Amino acid sequence: MANPHPPAPLSRRAGRGGNEEPIDRGPIIAMRDISKRFGPALANDHISLDLWPGEVHAVLGENGAGKTTLMNVLAGMYQPDAGTIRIAGEEVQIASPADALRRGIGTVYQHFTLVPNLSIVENVVLGDEGGFLPDLSAADAKLTAMLADFGLDVSPRTEIRNLALGQRQRVEIIKVLLRGSRVLVLDEPTSVLTPGEVTALLDLLRHLRDQGVAVVLITHKLGEALAVSDRVTILRNGRNVGEFGPDVMTGAAKESVRDRIVEQMFGATQPTETRHHGAQQSIDVSPGVAIKHPGHSEPAGEESRHSRTDAAFSRDSSFLGMTTSLRRSPSRAESGTTLLSLRGISTLGDRGAPALQDLSLDLHRGEVFGIAGVDGNGQKELGEVIAGQRAVSSGQIFLDGAEITNRGLGTATRLGIGYVTDDRLHEGSVAASSVTDNVALKAIGRQPFSNGFWLNRRAMDEEARRLIVEFGVKTPGPETAIGMLSGGNIQKLLLARELALAPKLLVCNKPTTGLDLRTARFVVQTLREQADAGKVVVLISSELDELMEISDRIGVMYNGQLVAVMPRGETDLETLGNLMLGGARRAFKVPA
Amino acid sequence: MNGSGVPLAAFVTAMLAAGLVAAVPLVLAALGEAVGEKSGLLNLGIEGMMLAGAFFGFLAAFQTGSAVLGVLGGIAAGAVLGLVFAALTVSLRVDQVLVGLAITIFGGGLTAFLYRDIFGGQNPSLNVDAPRIAIPLLSRIPVAGPAMFNQGVLFYLAFALVPAFAFVLARTRFGLQVRAVGEYPFAADAAGVDVTRTRYLAALIAGSMAGLAGAFLAVADLKIFQVGMTVGMGFIALALTMVGGWNPYRILLASVLFGLLRSLGNGLQILGIDVRTEFITMLPYIGIMIALAILAGRTSIPAALGIPYARGRR
Repeated sequence: MANPHPPAPLSRRAGRGGNEEPIDRGPIIAMRDISKRFGPALANDHISLDLWPGEVHAVLGENGAGKTTLMNVLAGMYQPDAGTIRIAGEEVQIASPADALRRGIGTVYQHFTLVPNLSIVENVVLGDEGGFLPDLSAADAKLTAMLADFGLDVSPRTEIRNLALGQRQRVEIIKVLLRGSRVLVLDEPTSVLTPGEVTALLDLLRHLRDQGVAVVLITHKLGEALAVSDRVTILRNGRNVGEFGPDVMTGAAKESVRDRIVEQMFGATQPTETRHHGAQQSIDVSPGVAIKHPGHSEPAGEESRHSRTDAAFSRDSSFLGMTTSLRRSPSRAESGTTLLSLRGISTLGDRGAPALQDLSLDLHRGEVFGIAGVDGNGQKELGEVIAGQRAVSSGQIFLDGAEITNRGLGTATRLGIGYVTDDRLHEGSVAASSVTDNVALKAIGRQPFSNGFWLNRRAMDEEARRLIVEFGVKTPGPETAIGMLSGGNIQKLLLARELALAPKLLVCNKPTTGLDLRTARFVVQTLREQADAGKVVVLISSELDELMEISDRIGVMYNGQLVAVMPRGETDLETLGNLMLGGARRAFKVPA
Repeated sequence: MNGSGVPLAAFVTAMLAAGLVAAVPLVLAALGEAVGEKSGLLNLGIEGMMLAGAFFGFLAAFQTGSAVLGVLGGIAAGAVLGLVFAALTVSLRVDQVLVGLAITIFGGGLTAFLYRDIFGGQNPSLNVDAPRIAIPLLSRIPVAGPAMFNQGVLFYLAFALVPAFAFVLARTRFGLQVRAVGEYPFAADAAGVDVTRTRYLAALIAGSMAGLAGAFLAVADLKIFQVGMTVGMGFIALALTMVGGWNPYRILLASVLFGLLRSLGNGLQILGIDVRTEFITMLPYIGIMIALAILAGRTSIPAALGIPYARGRR
């Protein structure tokens, strides 16, 4: 091999300051008028986008705004219906992912593209063009240095499945950089990371930018975009609705940029009058009330359909960096009576390893009990145990004082315990079945959907239509297969289905993962309302902000145990993050 | 010591030899199947591909008088069916189970029809050279020597292919690509691996090996063709692939054990030991079922086995 150490950007091109390479004046990638249609939906509508070397470029937008489609066009996964792509001024057709890589465009997908049962080095040489026998030792040598540069203390022969998600993501980045990528596209890279890992990733992106890499950060998280970007492009409904260059992004006016970005992301529902606010917008905290903004421009017919969503959205504020609007009396949890008690619960996980160990917990009426934890520390199993979906190997569960240990899911459902899984597409819904069938599924054997033998299709259909309207679900109709809907709309339906059963206790596992801001707000708001109405909501989430916002108490899971349970007011993000990572147990009281 | 008066050493040698020979077509077919399954293709058509390999191998050898051309004919027949399998399952994304079963039924029907049509009522046997090769020294080892080291070319080839397949799967770029597309084709595609091409090649290998296994039976071992002569060996190979955990060495081990159990069954009958024949014939199959039951949860099946891949769909 002529050059045994091809681009290792972190360690090689570090000599900036002294003899800098002359920088090309033009953008490295110029996408012009890209359009891409999926069936009736126009995912990209004449989008133009320039990427510059040495810049972090955030592409912001809600779910369904067309961000991922646009990047898949650039990555060669999709062919655009119209439009051109130029790389360093030269017009190209990107025929396949392999072609994109050859042209220096590396993509880190939201769903990682590492084969779990292959080692790091095997994943890296996979897809290399080379001879019959890949030279693993040569690749090992390159990788070892690179892994160290990226703060990964693992051997190149480690199998991917033994790495944590944050580590896998770094391997993904290393993989595409080793292929000589000058453009690094990351699709929602922080959605799987812990707060500490997010900080580290953003540092890494800054570092790569300083090496001259054009970094593209696709995200719907405004905070990240503001923290790291030199340039921001905002997509909405498949169109490029605004761009802010380095002059604005790195200038002193950062705070005003935030407001302008928010306005462009959500323009239609954001009152124009608030543009020049120095103060906060008026916030209505009464539940379920639609807010009429002055200058509300939505067509009247759309209003009822979106009313709940809009109300939820308008009441939000924390993402705007304003004060939290959801005020509750801090003593609410104590004032509620105990609904469900877990006593000394132990259980096994799916792989037969202990998942919960001697865990006790009381849940009180009217509270949102938040559960934080790094994935795999027993949160999911705890949620399933509470929901009656997972049997316990020891311990007891009481509902209103009556023991219901291991009585099964049917009993739990009958007694008013609802569960919304984090696995929407597999566990939560039958993807190929209609919205109607999925909505009716949990109560399919009961009135009004069935008289015990025949199904009442009309009642099922009516219920589906009712929930679609009430929850503002975007679907062509109740007969559409649920798997065709976006993640956010499926989530709304799963939540709607549980709420329609009027549960006393609702367990939600990561209900906002992958949702756009508006839908996430809606979901969180709905959960809070449930608790305010006297129900118990157990919220398992990896979004600490979300937990901090609506939980009355927050429990931290580590290694199958609740290592701390704290009233919301007595903790902060740092403490939570520390506890999640197995940090020292503070003097917090763990309730019996 | 036994009623038939066969010397014990000669008896054991014969048992061993018969068991090893019985393992040969299983090893060949299962090795090919392992590559196919590692790439995500569950080929239930092995039985049909073996039959096609047996018939066309027999036909080619019968017409040309050459064992080599016979074997090549068998491989070609299997390869063609492997490509048919790939075209239907990879390109057209038809369900693999359906296509596999269709090929098995088609292979049985086609060969039965052609055999009767071409050879009429006769059941000719081949008059070709398929010489035994005695390996110097090794073949003189008492008892085991003649069984293991005085055999035909394909016998040695089958055993030599085991490390070859292991090497290809573990060490070569092609093997890496096969494992990747069978586990997580989206990742392989994103890395620039041609998923379609890799699966076609794997199907081609699976088909060729099944064809070779069939040709071994008809051309090298028995020198005749019979309708349905594979008697379920394709499915046994399928089971052995899983029992062996897609690892060529373990597949070899499983196949040899199966072959030995079968020849042991026959041996017990020869020795006149008073056990019901039906029970003895069942032995190896019961063994397979027990092994599958024990190993069921332990082996990690290729994650994308049986699932077609389409770019941009997940």
